[in-house]
Amino acid sequence: MNEAAIANAKRGFSFYARIYRKILVQDLKSKMSYRADFIISTFGMIMTNTVGFMSFYILFKNFPSINGWNYHEMLFLYGFSLIALTPLQCLFDNNWSLRYSVESGDFIKYCFRPINIFFYFISEVFDVKGLGQLVFGVAVLSYAWSSLAIPVTVGTLCLLVLLLITASLFMIAIMNFAAATCFWMLRSGYVMILMFRFKDYARYPASIFDGLFRIIFTFVIPIAFIAYYPGLVILHPDNIPLLSKLSPVIGVLFFWLSYKFWMLGATRYDGTGS
Amino acid sequence: MKKEIDQAIVMENVVKEFKVLNRHEGLRGSIRDLFSRDYRTVTAVDNISISIPGGQIVGYLGPNGAGKSTTIKMMTGVLEPTSGNLIVNGCVPYKNRTKNCENIGVVFGQRSQLWWSLPLIESFRLLKDIYLIPDRQYDEMMKLYSDLVDLEPLLHKTVRQMSLGQRTLSDILAAFLHDPKIVFLDEPTIGLDVSMKAKIRDLIKELNRMKQTTVILTTHDMGDVDALCERIVIIDHGRMIYDNDIDHLKSYFGSYRILKVRLPGDIWEETVIDESKTDVMSVISDYQKKGKLLDIKLEEISTEEVIKKIYENETNERKKISGIDKSRDNTGIAV
Repeated sequence: MNEAAIANAKRGFSFYARIYRKILVQDLKSKMSYRADFIISTFGMIMTNTVGFMSFYILFKNFPSINGWNYHEMLFLYGFSLIALTPLQCLFDNNWSLRYSVESGDFIKYCFRPINIFFYFISEVFDVKGLGQLVFGVAVLSYAWSSLAIPVTVGTLCLLVLLLITASLFMIAIMNFAAATCFWMLRSGYVMILMFRFKDYARYPASIFDGLFRIIFTFVIPIAFIAYYPGLVILHPDNIPLLSKLSPVIGVLFFWLSYKFWMLGATRYDGTGS
Repeated sequence: MKKEIDQAIVMENVVKEFKVLNRHEGLRGSIRDLFSRDYRTVTAVDNISISIPGGQIVGYLGPNGAGKSTTIKMMTGVLEPTSGNLIVNGCVPYKNRTKNCENIGVVFGQRSQLWWSLPLIESFRLLKDIYLIPDRQYDEMMKLYSDLVDLEPLLHKTVRQMSLGQRTLSDILAAFLHDPKIVFLDEPTIGLDVSMKAKIRDLIKELNRMKQTTVILTTHDMGDVDALCERIVIIDHGRMIYDNDIDHLKSYFGSYRILKVRLPGDIWEETVIDESKTDVMSVISDYQKKGKLLDIKLEEISTEEVIKKIYENETNERKKISGIDKSRDNTGIAV
């Protein structure tokens, strides 16, 4: 037990941060060397975001407000959700290939290194495309922010960062749960695609959903925490619901649970097919 | 337990059972399976005890599905034994996966464990960080590697760009990099050409000699066994059926030789002869009585033949026990 503690001390946060940085730098270098792939995927990302924004814009051309939310407030949620989804896109993209590596038996290779399996697996892929989304999200959010004339102070900016991190944790956790189902079931791809689709609802205020869906999106598949609850903190600072205040704690807890679930699956893994 | 501290691996009555759902046929069956608790137990590893001292190269053999991989997975801490004791480098692998992984290296067949998109040298540097290898030790190892193999052209290639041979070579180098006490090699020469196989075998042999690394090698290539293994462990249906050195292996069933005779019409016929029971001359004269012999050749039995016989023997024994053995085929052995 004592030795395990020493081993953990040897491989603490700075250890993982160093390893991660090195993998990231090397991976980026090699990505840049496939120039055509890099350009095409960046172009694809810009197109996806533009089209997404167009449909949003057209919607608001016809309905000037939704459930009391005006165009700029909705735009705020939209930009916020884009930024909040970036860490998932960039850092946790390898979850999409988890089921293939479990099915083919390749997953076993992650069990042979003296480091955390989740870290080892996730660190392997960094998706550059997500950065385009980040730029787009920042632009949309800044525009909405200035249009709504929300005062810019150090305090609100810090709060914004905290809320963005919280929101990211929720989406990452949802996808961790969805990906880890592959340790138990064969066709887990559908679970992932379904969950990933739900993220599109995150940009709408949860108040537009009826009772049942509101409960589902708050407590079962908590996408309301990706933009709505954290967004309220900045948009309506005079009337912050309890769930908004609690969202950082719930976010950390939810992420931790998803990590535990993922790791439980990994220890259950028996390397069939090798 | 104290006395076994110099043993790299100690297995005592290790058993691994898997629960398998009894599946039913048809749509109705699949629906039933959804709720079924009707499991049967499959014993993949059945009461195996071995101790492997440090520095040995052990050939771990057995037909497909014999339980080799399951054993390796238990030794590497991926699977937990159902019962029995398993100690690797003085600790229980399943309970201390991370610690166990510091002291072992693994090469799993054709599955590269290196980072696909990174040049080999960057993979090595990452491994240096992951295993916390001191600079001096790392430099020494790289020096040793460049003495043993033509390293320079590999270092700046990404694993993606490598040929299978280069990839296997790189994987083996990566497995030895942190100077582990034990290296597990699962079919390291599968799919390689003759010269690459020889290269890989030389490399493993040298590394084992210089670093005193224990090597557990599973393979179906008897060339690997002949070239590398001092000791051979054979398992089948989860049970250990042979554990001794390679010299004993050849005389395991008596002293066998293969007689090849050329009959009219240019047909070669092969007979495996057990010299403790029959002598070669009488078999030749039997052939002569039947017809003209054009040519004869006498060969020592290969490791491959012996292993094949051990597998067959085991299968026949099992058949006899289960009473299925009504028409036992002779497998061409003159007794």
